[in-house]
Amino acid sequence: MIKVSQLLKTVSTADGNLDILCGIDLEIEPGASAAIVGASGSGKSTLLGLLAGMDVPSGGEIWLDGESLKNLDEDQRARLRAEKVGFVFQSFQLLPALTALENVMLPLELAGVNDADKIAKKYLVEVGLGERLSHYPTTLSGGEQQRVAIARAFARQPRILFADEPTGNLDTRTGELIIELLFDLNDRAHTTLVLVTHDERLAARCDRCFAMTAGEIVER
Amino acid sequence: MTSRLSWKLLSREWRSGELSILLLALVMAVSVVVGVSSFVSRLQSALLSESARFLAADMVVVSRTPFSDEWVREAEAQGLATSLGVGFPSMAVADIDHMALVSIKAVSDGYPLRGDLRWSREPYGDVLAEGSVPAVGEVWLAPRLFALLDVALGDRILVGEAGLLVTGAVRAEPDATTAVFGFGPRLLMNVEDIPATGVIQPGSRVEYRLLVGGDREAVSSFTEWVEPLLEQGQRVDSIDGSQPRIGDTLDRAKGFLLLAGSLAVVLASAAITLASRRFGERHTQYVAILKSLGARSWEISRLYGLSLAVLGAIGTILGCVVGWAIQAGFITLLGDLLPVRPGHAGWTPVYIGVVTAAVCMLFFAWPPLRRLGLASPLSVLRTDVGIAESQRPQDYLLGGLSIVGLMWWYNGSAAVTMAVVAGLLVVMVLGFLAARGLLYGGRRVGGFAGSIWRVALSGLQRRGHANALQMVIFAMAIMLMLLLSIVRSSLVVQWQAQLPADAPNHFLLNLAPDEKLVLEDFFEEQGVTVEALYPMTRGRVLSVNAEELPKSGEFEWEGIPRQREANFTWSDSLPEGNLLIEGEWWDADDARASLSLEESFAQDVGAGLGDRLTLRIGAEEFEAEVRSIRRVDWQSMRPNFYVVFPRQVLEQYPGMYMTSFRLLPDQKPVLNQLVSVLPTVTVIELDLVLREMRTVIDQVAGALELVLSVILASGALVLISGVRSSLDARLRESALMRALGARARVVLGTLWIEFLVLGAMAGTLAAAGTEVAAWALQTQVFDMTWSPTIALWWVGPVTGALIIGALGVWSCRRVVNTTPVALLREV
Repeated sequence: MIKVSQLLKTVSTADGNLDILCGIDLEIEPGASAAIVGASGSGKSTLLGLLAGMDVPSGGEIWLDGESLKNLDEDQRARLRAEKVGFVFQSFQLLPALTALENVMLPLELAGVNDADKIAKKYLVEVGLGERLSHYPTTLSGGEQQRVAIARAFARQPRILFADEPTGNLDTRTGELIIELLFDLNDRAHTTLVLVTHDERLAARCDRCFAMTAGEIVER
Repeated sequence: MTSRLSWKLLSREWRSGELSILLLALVMAVSVVVGVSSFVSRLQSALLSESARFLAADMVVVSRTPFSDEWVREAEAQGLATSLGVGFPSMAVADIDHMALVSIKAVSDGYPLRGDLRWSREPYGDVLAEGSVPAVGEVWLAPRLFALLDVALGDRILVGEAGLLVTGAVRAEPDATTAVFGFGPRLLMNVEDIPATGVIQPGSRVEYRLLVGGDREAVSSFTEWVEPLLEQGQRVDSIDGSQPRIGDTLDRAKGFLLLAGSLAVVLASAAITLASRRFGERHTQYVAILKSLGARSWEISRLYGLSLAVLGAIGTILGCVVGWAIQAGFITLLGDLLPVRPGHAGWTPVYIGVVTAAVCMLFFAWPPLRRLGLASPLSVLRTDVGIAESQRPQDYLLGGLSIVGLMWWYNGSAAVTMAVVAGLLVVMVLGFLAARGLLYGGRRVGGFAGSIWRVALSGLQRRGHANALQMVIFAMAIMLMLLLSIVRSSLVVQWQAQLPADAPNHFLLNLAPDEKLVLEDFFEEQGVTVEALYPMTRGRVLSVNAEELPKSGEFEWEGIPRQREANFTWSDSLPEGNLLIEGEWWDADDARASLSLEESFAQDVGAGLGDRLTLRIGAEEFEAEVRSIRRVDWQSMRPNFYVVFPRQVLEQYPGMYMTSFRLLPDQKPVLNQLVSVLPTVTVIELDLVLREMRTVIDQVAGALELVLSVILASGALVLISGVRSSLDARLRESALMRALGARARVVLGTLWIEFLVLGAMAGTLAAAGTEVAAWALQTQVFDMTWSPTIALWWVGPVTGALIIGALGVWSCRRVVNTTPVALLREV
């Protein structure tokens, strides 16, 4: 479960303080899928970064799977991500030095999982890249790279999966295939899915949809 | 996972180019340091062997009484070779009309233990180095003795009661240096003939020499054993402190090599810093991904630490191997010219290499990578998040101090280190000032210029901070390259000037005043040019300003002024090759009691300008005032004197004359005629020594050339790293310009202007830094005269602009070869 209470994020600018998030309250139950939509600069990505513990809020509190992030330092938040969180990014964020298989193995190895090799292969086969295990990211198409990223996200069997514009860099057809894959795996793994998107069709596939405007959030 | 990932990271990153520059820079630093220090170590041991040649042994025990047999047995028990020598003055008699006072040296088989005894069948015949010593019953005579005694090969002469057969002429002895002003011409005989002569009686003035040679450790152990047993009148002469002929040349070459090595380290650390910074910058996103996947800071640090350790280990091993090859190359280049046993370098150069690698990795490569641990995982979501600055001021300070320490430890000279640091500081301070001023001015000028110039100059302005850093690094690299080229050229020029092709190659001593005309006529007849004739009188400095100086032996430690004996001469004008450093020279008709001192001699007796010295010639004492202090070029192969007087002061004292002259190889027979015309003169043949010196200088200059090219390669590496450090930003901007419709010509033109301006500014700064460092090095380290190098002020900016311009545009060539979309995606 994800719970957010009175979340604030303020940054200093030359013209004074700027409120990016203005007291967000949010609760997403385990296994549910939620979309966060909004215009550019509405604070979606900032919220996602805070939810994943990659940034520190100016106020308020966040609980991931019942654990508060409030008093955790960066390394403790990283441990929490390694144990419970998966990610899918708009620009895939694969390590170019590693093959598809090695990219998927990476979070498993970081968490000290045995048989990382076997698990990674299984997930790559599931996303349809069983034949491309030893390919490097630069030799894969955008859709294939995003599939590697999805396999990487699910391989660790996370409790929560965050996706940042997962289809933003893909053409419509490939985007649709990726959405299918994402929801299919999510249903099977019962993961809590939070995704940030501009794509209304993608938002419509989620159980819940939140709209952000100027740092404030409302459920649609 | 970390070690596996480190290895993968390392192997894959090799292809990106950043690591190859990092590794290359490290290999370069380690190999130059290992190569140069191994070579210098071997050179030093070679110099010791060279010194040993002047002693004819590795150590000599000198005594006024015969040695105990036990000493010889002990030396031999320690595995050392020994040889006995006995020296004393005596009369050699051919017949009642022909006899001469000679300086006898009796030697045993095995002499000399180091160096060569050169002799010939005929007085000035072809020189032979092989063969041993005169056999029992035989003697070899100095060439002029043949004329003095009127003997030929196969004749018999008497030494004491022994009749000995003349079988050769002694031409050069390794340990003959002290005999130049000795008792008379040399007579070399076998030590076993000494009893038969019956000339050594109690009270005779005899010097016994026990020559010992062999393994260095055994020699020191024997020295330690024998020293406590020495009595009055006995001493040990060792090779430390004796000055070999080519010592000065090799010493300066050594100084140059160590300087070059230090510069290589500075250049390599600059290259390592730049490569590591870029590696760190490019890996910020990597780290963000790893962190978003749950990697903790310490895991990131371990990951990159391990990568660096592996890289460091590979670089160190490769560097040591390449370094070994470099020194082997030097040794091959110098070939047989190095004295017999070049010796072993030992493990010290390897330790130096390992420490250099560790310092480079720890203080230059690691700081940018250590900061990666601080990268925010948020940059996977937002591209505007990064690490504020990859290196902090304290990193630069620590790096700077460590490199100064490393340089100092490595070259062992505070003066060399400080000279380089002074030059670098000038570059840095001027660099940042100039960068600010000129880049700002550039924008204003650009405002009035055409569009290409405007874009280029505003680009320079926009990246002002990065450009200033880049410019200073370019300037440092160019400065170090220019500096080394200048020092090398002036060293080589000076060496060649020391030994011009027409340098005198023979000394003539013991010419009586009434023989001057005979000599001048003789040489004129033979077509031989002779240098000025200098009168020479032996004298002693007794006191300074009426304060008596202690005699030698009363105070042995250095720095205490003491009485000195020297050859005095007079001259109307400042002798050629002498430099007046204090006071003034007298007029030819000056009769005041005054004199001129050589600077080191003045120090030895503790006298300065205006002091009054009490001197003694023969039994007569007189006073004279110090009117000038001179610096003498002792390698000039001309007669040089410590003490010079006005003619009218010294002319009244009896003395002999000396001079030097040059003979071509086919003029050698002139010497035979000379000694028959003037049988009492002594001729010292230096042509063999000079030939050897000239070859050594040529070869050493070749070795310097080799080192210079290695340094230039290091410098090029820094320039390439420097250009690459700003590559991403430039590529992105250029790709954007093209995407917005700029033609390739405009984009390339902008890049050319940016890099040309940067290069020209760096070159100008480098010229300033080079002048400062060259001044410090030439005057404080190499003991050379300095004058500004005007050419630097155009060579620096022009080469800087051309090299940086070409490298920069070449590195950015993809901007016009690749589509803007592909480029933007990549960077």
